[in-house]
Amino acid sequence: MWRLTPGQALASHGWDGEYVLYNDLSGDTHLLTGMAFRILRQVQASPSTIVMLAQSCGADEGEIESLLADLELLALVEYCPC
Amino acid sequence: MLTLSSLSPAELRHRMSIDGLRFQTGAFVACVTSPISHVADGLERLYGDYPLRDKHDFVDFYLNLVPVGGLRRWFKPQVQFDHDGLRPFQPLPHDQAFSMFEWALNWCVSGRAHSYLIIHAAVVEKNGRAAILPAPPGSGKSTLCAALVSRGWRLLSDELTLIRIQDGQVVPSPRPISLKNGSIELIGRYAPGTVFSRPVADTAKGTIAHMRPPADSVRRAQETAQPGWIVFPRYVANAAPALIPLPRARAFLKIAENAFNYSLLGAAGFKAVGDLVEATDIFDFSYSALDDAVAVFEQLAGLGA
Repeated sequence: MWRLTPGQALASHGWDGEYVLYNDLSGDTHLLTGMAFRILRQVQASPSTIVMLAQSCGADEGEIESLLADLELLALVEYCPC
Repeated sequence: MLTLSSLSPAELRHRMSIDGLRFQTGAFVACVTSPISHVADGLERLYGDYPLRDKHDFVDFYLNLVPVGGLRRWFKPQVQFDHDGLRPFQPLPHDQAFSMFEWALNWCVSGRAHSYLIIHAAVVEKNGRAAILPAPPGSGKSTLCAALVSRGWRLLSDELTLIRIQDGQVVPSPRPISLKNGSIELIGRYAPGTVFSRPVADTAKGTIAHMRPPADSVRRAQETAQPGWIVFPRYVANAAPALIPLPRARAFLKIAENAFNYSLLGAAGFKAVGDLVEATDIFDFSYSALDDAVAVFEQLAGLGA
């Protein structure tokens, strides 16, 4: 299951399908696609598997897996073996 | 209210040599001490409309511009900026002492005034709405700012746009406009009668002169403005004026890059930039002729070309 990294609040602004997000842990600001932002909102609502995210976000599992890897590098999400 | 122009040249220099000359620059009170005549000359020429403060008033920034000692007292004398015992700048020749004062005051504000989001940008106002012009050196920001000011826009700042964190208002900090090289003569022709400091050649930026801010802008320095537009200007030789809307998320990042204290403010800075982007129309703007550029800004302000 993937979950939002504890400490992240997802302060964000979105315009025209692009999002800027404040990273509470690093202090960085990230520019995200709509799909990446949907993943974050989903795992914030509840920890999710790649299959669940693919269904809720309307994307294929490969794309979700790739985006999760990117978001994990930014310390926005983490894998929890729960 | 007394202004610097009410002081005789002798009184101004006396204050600068004893307790310091204290005056209001927008939201801040500066106290300047220096025995170097170039500093007094520049203040006398460009700061005449600024309100004086007396020695019992609170001071935000103490700026001491002191001669470098040793052999430098006699051989190519130099000036150094001393701020509470810190000497953050390299010494410069005496004739750059007034420019050093300007840079030093900018350094104080950009490094200390963290109740504001501080953007490296010129900002001018018309009809209560502010046009913010963030840009790197060489983009023509100050030249465009000087042209707009000479055509009736109120100067809020040439260098540091202060966005008040608590309510997003632009807080004026009108100071002399720094012009370089060909821009000095250009603005002299564009706005005859403009008062400049004495041009100083051979600085790190070439020849520099500062333009005296309009008295009305200084008098209204306590009047805040609502952010209206963010325009990233770029001078392009022989180009027709082109105003291109900028995607807001991309604009957010450009503004954050141009803010001195965005990272320091953390989540408050993120919110301040977000609110600013929400409140404004944002453009990239390329231009060559000042008249064309001013006409575009007049259209933005809803005044017709």
